[in-house]
Amino acid sequence: MNWLLDIIESSIGKKLLMALTGLGFCVFLFGHLAGNLTIYGGKDAFNSYAEHLHSLGPILTVAEIGLLIFAMVHILSGIFLFWGNLKARPQRYVMKKSAGGRTIGSRTMPYTGFLVLLFVIFHLMNFHFVDKTNTTIFQIVQNAFSDPIYVGIYIAAMLVVGIHVSHGFWSAFQTLGANHPKYMPLIKGLSICFSLIVGMGFGFLPIYFLFML
Amino acid sequence: MQLDSKVPGGPLSEKWDKHLFDLKLVNPANKRKFEIIVVGTGLAGGSASATLAELGYNVKTFCIQDSPRRAHSIAAQGGINAAKNYSNDGDSVWRLFYDTVKGGDYRSREANVYRLAQVSNNIIDQCVAQGVPFAREYGGLLANRSFGGAQVSRTFYARGQTGQQLLIGAYSALSRQIAVGKVKLFTRRDMLDLVLVNGKARGIVTRNLVNGNIETHAADAVVLATGGYGNTFYLSTNAMASNVSAAYSAYKKGAFFANPCYTQIHPTCIPVHGTYQSKLTLMSESLRNDGRVWVPRNPGDKRHPGQIPESERDYYLENKYPSFGNLVPRDVASRNAKLQCDQGKGVGETGLAVYLDFKDAIQRDGKDVIAKKYGNLFQMYEKITADNPYETPMMIYPAVHYTMGGLWVDYNLMSTIPGLFVLGEANFSDHGANRLGASALMQGLADGYFIIPYTIGGYLAGTKLEKVSTDDAGFKATAEDVKTRIQKLLSIGGKRTVDDFHRQLGNIMWEYCGMARTAKGLTKAKNLITELRAEFWENVLVSGSGDQFNQSLEKAGRVADFIEFGKLMVLDALARKESCGGHFNEDYQTEENEAKRDDESFCHVAAWEYAGEENEPNFHKEALHFENVTLTQRSYK
Amino acid sequence: MTRSNGKKNINLTLKVWRQVGSDVKGRLETYQANNISTDMSFLEMLDVVNEELIINHRDPIAFDHDCREGICGMCGAVVNGRAHGPEKGTTLCQLHMRHFSDRDTVIIEPWRSRAFKIIKDLVVDRSALDAIIQAGGYISVSAGGTPDANVIPVPQEAAEKAMDAAACIGCGACIAACPNASAMLFVGAKVSHLALLPQGAPEAARRVLKMVQKMDDCGFGNCTNERECEAVCPKEISITNIARLNREYIKAGFL
Ligand SMILES: Cc1cc2nc3c(=O)[nH]c(=O)nc-3n(C[C@H](O)[C@H](O)[C@H](O)COP(=O)(O)OP(=O)(O)OC[C@H]3O[C@@H](n4cnc5c(N)ncnc54)[C@H](O)[C@@H]3O)c2cc1C
Ligand code: HEM
Ligand code: SF4
Ligand code: FES
Repeated sequence: MNWLLDIIESSIGKKLLMALTGLGFCVFLFGHLAGNLTIYGGKDAFNSYAEHLHSLGPILTVAEIGLLIFAMVHILSGIFLFWGNLKARPQRYVMKKSAGGRTIGSRTMPYTGFLVLLFVIFHLMNFHFVDKTNTTIFQIVQNAFSDPIYVGIYIAAMLVVGIHVSHGFWSAFQTLGANHPKYMPLIKGLSICFSLIVGMGFGFLPIYFLFML
Repeated sequence: MQLDSKVPGGPLSEKWDKHLFDLKLVNPANKRKFEIIVVGTGLAGGSASATLAELGYNVKTFCIQDSPRRAHSIAAQGGINAAKNYSNDGDSVWRLFYDTVKGGDYRSREANVYRLAQVSNNIIDQCVAQGVPFAREYGGLLANRSFGGAQVSRTFYARGQTGQQLLIGAYSALSRQIAVGKVKLFTRRDMLDLVLVNGKARGIVTRNLVNGNIETHAADAVVLATGGYGNTFYLSTNAMASNVSAAYSAYKKGAFFANPCYTQIHPTCIPVHGTYQSKLTLMSESLRNDGRVWVPRNPGDKRHPGQIPESERDYYLENKYPSFGNLVPRDVASRNAKLQCDQGKGVGETGLAVYLDFKDAIQRDGKDVIAKKYGNLFQMYEKITADNPYETPMMIYPAVHYTMGGLWVDYNLMSTIPGLFVLGEANFSDHGANRLGASALMQGLADGYFIIPYTIGGYLAGTKLEKVSTDDAGFKATAEDVKTRIQKLLSIGGKRTVDDFHRQLGNIMWEYCGMARTAKGLTKAKNLITELRAEFWENVLVSGSGDQFNQSLEKAGRVADFIEFGKLMVLDALARKESCGGHFNEDYQTEENEAKRDDESFCHVAAWEYAGEENEPNFHKEALHFENVTLTQRSYK
Repeated sequence: MTRSNGKKNINLTLKVWRQVGSDVKGRLETYQANNISTDMSFLEMLDVVNEELIINHRDPIAFDHDCREGICGMCGAVVNGRAHGPEKGTTLCQLHMRHFSDRDTVIIEPWRSRAFKIIKDLVVDRSALDAIIQAGGYISVSAGGTPDANVIPVPQEAAEKAMDAAACIGCGACIAACPNASAMLFVGAKVSHLALLPQGAPEAARRVLKMVQKMDDCGFGNCTNERECEAVCPKEISITNIARLNREYIKAGFL
């Protein structure tokens, strides 16, 4: 397995891990969003979706552990990359301007990533590691979103996720070697669509709770 | 000393094979016992270093730049010739040989040129195998174009970056040998002197340009591939670091310098803008395939080119040379541009330019076709001049581009100093008095890949070489000389900068030893240079110290040599009382202002031997014998 | 395009990074560049400043340069925050003063990267790029014994793409401009050039693994697809070459 370690330790290897786990998250986000959309179907639809999910039992546990591993890998390689990049230019420029390549998303990846991490912890504490014996998930969510501060945090977090993904999505394809003049514009378009869908899809839920219910 | 070219006997086409057989071989196991120094990493030096290392020799390679890949060869645009006859237009080794001898105005050595044509095909095979991305046809086979007025399409090219791609090929071969430890690379080194032991070349003295250390290196043979001396003229298309110093130091140590006055002036360069100008930029000769050269018919006509009607334009090349038109060889095109400007018909702010007009070509083929062919050149032109050649004609003027002269070498590429070999533009061997387009790259690679690897073996196997070390007195003394000179340069503390002197030398050379020469002008130049040299050593101002990165000092040494060398060029030009190729003496011309050769008296190589600082050099003659071609007056009418 | 508005001569304030050696602290120093013709190239402007410095017995500004026509890759500095200055697809030596205005302040700094030590002022040591090529940036053929050049047909498109990549002049601007000082565009260009040609195929896997390893050892940063490299590259080399490098790396590593 030495060869695998060698690859993973290289700069491209770490990026590959980043890309694969990042894309994994994107898939997860997509599924998560699809599930959450049942909220618009009302209390029962949402609760039954949650029950269905939990009835999966061990499969769900495996998926959760998988996500956790993905998170660890994504975060750890992210830290290594970030650290390596800081070291690569010990003396900064007095004046440095973008020549037009960078975007808000690309500039802020480590920071938006870190914020997403904080949010995920916060999110899990709110909705995952809570006592669910006497209450339904819908109620928990409704409770949480009755507080404008919570709503604010959630919306802001979704913006951050959107920004992170706006670069991350196409960047992952580039890292995996999938860049071709023919279909790169499509991937870039998808990247923007995806970040909008994620940002707005998740972002509207708290608003829905706050104002509609 | 009788110059022996060592050209083998027998029929022309068998000479090289026979010679290869006659050369002594070095036993494969013994090759690693030999050290070879190669100075220069251009096409010649890069390919030689790589190939010698592949054969098993231990090679030490030196260059001025921070990377071998930046040698001046990288700037070559147009292409490289080979006698592949891929275009099926009747090309052959013989035809390439013939064209090159004729193009050189019958002042080159037949046997060398024939060998060059012979190995030209191997070069293309070699480069393709290395991954040089030559242009290709849709079917995947290599594309060719006709270049520099050749009647056949034999030029291989990689867009307008042929030199770059060929050099990257040689550089990658070199890198491979560095990786396996067969080549030890020394970058940012300036070779300042050659070390002789018992009359043989056994080492060099270099200055480490980063920390100023004076270093000595010993070897069994020394190969110089240090390029041409066009920068004697200050302004040229050569790179800023191109110099004569390495070759000149060898000359001072006894290597003969051949034909120094043969300078090629390229007709299509961007004209000079102002005194601050530091170099001239070549616009590829291929432009003349579609561009039409003209000047206003009336002297002093300062109208915008668009306002000058067809009837008041003089397409002087087309009119004068109906069969070759705009495609006449370089020397002819350059001289005619000067002639027009001398008559006051020059255009642009300085009056030292002629038009190269693409209007008709665009009308005929459409802008797209022209853009596809020359787009990058047009862009480069616009970058420099802020003029758009699609709309207004380009302005061009001749500029110093290549030097056919160089250290004298025999058929083995060895100079008059045993063990000192000279390759590429630094030697004099293959181009006679004028070089055809796309043949310098060919020569550099031929020398490096396919000639020196064998001939140096013959020398090493057949010569008794005593052990030497850099601790020997000879090395120490030479290093001391180098240090003394550096100290002297630094201590003058005068009032004029190095560039200032260089510019003045350039003016003298361009004025009196440039496109058109006269005995009177050359004599004047000789005196001017003598004065300039005296002033230089009294009044130059070199900043900084010797033990640091010091570009002012680097230049000072080079300019000091250029000044002395300029005088040698002038002497050679004076002695050659005829016109041939790049050496045009107005005193020797036909009624139609064409070069008039004197084959009776001047069908020879002029080789100069250094005779001390205060003396004129000794003249030696290598007679040229043409057994396979008849000498004719070149005619492009 | 031109900013000088037809003015023939302009005056500039230069702030130039001066540093005597690699382990000495450097700083910006201010110089006046007066009466600069707008037809000058940027390096000719520096020549003029240097001539004056020399005459006044001050140390001229050290900068690398050679061909002065945009092909040798020797020149380069970060000018007002941009590698090779403000013009697209242009090396510093081909940047002309007509792109500056009278009384502009121009900040000039060397390439900055851990892998590029400063030698003096604007001169840096780029030998790491050569080290990467030595690690595998070649096709292992020795002189002689190669087949006829037309034995292997190469589709024109492949040859053109290889040429696009091979146009890299090894200047290092991509690394200077990259927020992470990554050398992926340079390495991507070289790997692509050889991987696109059938001649380069036999060694493709070994080559990419070795070159990437060397790149990492030299201390360059990691690519995060910021695309600053292709924006400053004087030869406008595209990041599709980085994608190809990634692809080649995956192929070499896993297949
Ligand atoms: C703009 C331009 C375009 C051209 N286009 C073409 C073309 O299309 N076709 C063609 O056939 N020819 C062309 N030529 C000519 C051709 O490029 C050169 O003649 C040829 O490349 C010279 O190669 P070389 O190896 O002899 O020397 P160079 O490439 O000049 O290399 C010289 C080497 O020697 C080193 N060196 C020099 N002095 C010293 C020293 N004192 N100490 C240590 N190292 C030293 C340098 O660092 C360098 O590595 C062109 C020339 C120019 C200027
Ligand atoms: C919902 C959660 C997340 C998603 C969907 C996501 C997605 C992605 C994607 C697709 C990439 C691109 C990989 C590539 O360029 O090859 C990426 C990169 C990155 N992510 Fe995340 N990520 C998430 C969470 C995080 C977290 C929690 C962190 C950090 C603590 C983080 C930090 C980073 C960093 C530093 C990068 C590297 C930037 C780069 O190389 O371009 N991400 N992410
Ligand atoms: S990729 Fe572009 S910027 Fe980078 S070294 Fe090559 S030419 Fe320079
Ligand atoms: S000096 Fe050669 S690229 Fe600028």
